[in-house]
Amino acid sequence: MSSTTYTLPIGPLHVALEEPMYFDIQVEGETVRSVELAAGHVHRGMEALAMQRNYFQNVTLVERVCSLCSNSHPATYCMAVENLSGLIVPERAMYLRVIADEVKRIASHLFNVGIMAHLTGFDSLFMHAMEVREIMQDAKEGVYGNRMNLGQCIIGGCRRDIDDSTAPFLLGQLELLKPQLDELYGVFERDPLIRTRTQGIGLLSFEEAKRHAVVGPVARASGVAYDLRRKAPYAAYADLDFKVQTDTKGDVHSRALLRLREAVQSVKIVEQCLRQLPGGPINTREVPVIPPGEAVARSEAPRGEVFYYLRSDGTDTPQRLKWRVPTYMNWEALQVMLASCQVADIALIVNSIDPCISCTER
Amino acid sequence: MLPFLKIMLRNLVLGPSTDPFPFAPAKTHENFRGCAVHDPEKCILCGICRHVCAAGAIQIRASQDGSGMQYSLWHNSCVFCGMCAHYCPTGALTMSNNWHLAHTGAEMFSNCISNLIHFGECAQCGAKIQPRPQAIIDTLGVRSPDRFLLCPKCKRQSIGRNVAQPRSIHRQENL
Repeated sequence: MSSTTYTLPIGPLHVALEEPMYFDIQVEGETVRSVELAAGHVHRGMEALAMQRNYFQNVTLVERVCSLCSNSHPATYCMAVENLSGLIVPERAMYLRVIADEVKRIASHLFNVGIMAHLTGFDSLFMHAMEVREIMQDAKEGVYGNRMNLGQCIIGGCRRDIDDSTAPFLLGQLELLKPQLDELYGVFERDPLIRTRTQGIGLLSFEEAKRHAVVGPVARASGVAYDLRRKAPYAAYADLDFKVQTDTKGDVHSRALLRLREAVQSVKIVEQCLRQLPGGPINTREVPVIPPGEAVARSEAPRGEVFYYLRSDGTDTPQRLKWRVPTYMNWEALQVMLASCQVADIALIVNSIDPCISCTER
Repeated sequence: MLPFLKIMLRNLVLGPSTDPFPFAPAKTHENFRGCAVHDPEKCILCGICRHVCAAGAIQIRASQDGSGMQYSLWHNSCVFCGMCAHYCPTGALTMSNNWHLAHTGAEMFSNCISNLIHFGECAQCGAKIQPRPQAIIDTLGVRSPDRFLLCPKCKRQSIGRNVAQPRSIHRQENL
């Protein structure tokens, strides 16, 4: 090691990081030369916990893996259990699951772009983005009963119906959100401060995105049009009309804008769902019989593809439950994105993959 | 800063967007999942709430005098998922929208639901059976109200008599 380089430790607890993660960064002057990632600070042994709880209890457990994708986890877990037991979910429940998923996606994306504004030092924009997000938080609380853990998915369908009392409320909140979201997009697109701080940094080319098999908005901002809602439609996504957002720039700025565009699409999806919502039951009243065997399920969480593997030995507890979350794929690509960047941009670039450490380490 | 200036001025005019809690009541939605409420009048001790509770907040134990079961739900262990209320077949467990659960450290273990639920009695032999409150007889026991109040043994005998009698008459007619 020459005298011009030194090691800069960032984390596990650091002002710029939202969750504990350790970066060992070799710096030459102000420029990053190499990055080592060390994980394991929020490991809670959730996969082991899942093997000690029955199928019903695990719905609640996997919902608490992560707060921002707390609907994607139980929904995918329930899909895996339903695949194994051959349970047919009623059509209305399929739509209700999509609504819950998209409402969460809007809130998650707004949170991420808000944090980006915060990391650029633009705190009044951060506050404003969080306040726009509050419209969705309010909708979640009013419709489902909680601001983060919706508790909507159960094995065999959904728990809370969207009826005459909650549908107008949800639509009203979306009407409130739409102009604010457009306005926010304009600010993020045009604001000179945001642009100078985020454009052209954290570059991930199409080839590198493919090589690292990144998923979610990170992949789509680099031109990989991979969206599970379109590639392998689950729930009611096959009947819904929406545009998969892509970009070719692959920098921090384009990822933030892509998330905002996806939020706009999500609003449209929720509106469509509310229009097309079929009648009928919202869950199968029967308690499923779970035979011995294996099953997988995957879905598009706000950060990308989440994958569940379930193995059952016929008892009421899973023999093995494993999940792979999008951040696991995306954080390896940080090696590429952080190469030759400035020390001051590290936090911005890390945030641009929307890392969910608690999901990944569980 | 320019595109944001308009928003900033507007937010300034609109004033604070937070609730003035604790000086005024905070806005709480009707659907909010707050602390659980247990109605001992409707509970039949089926135990599904305990089965689905991921937090292990629910305990059902035999009471010391053997007259019933002690039902406990610790609010401090509860994660407010509402699975118990969803799966409760009689509506004995519900989630209220009360979120005022702050208490002193001394009340840590008393901050729970604790109800003694008496066993029912078999209408024939007086053996202990699951509770049969009136609210449950009216909803679940409508098909055969008499048999609903019997213990499994008396129920078997009663069903046996019912099955045996009409069939023997039927056979005689055929002969």
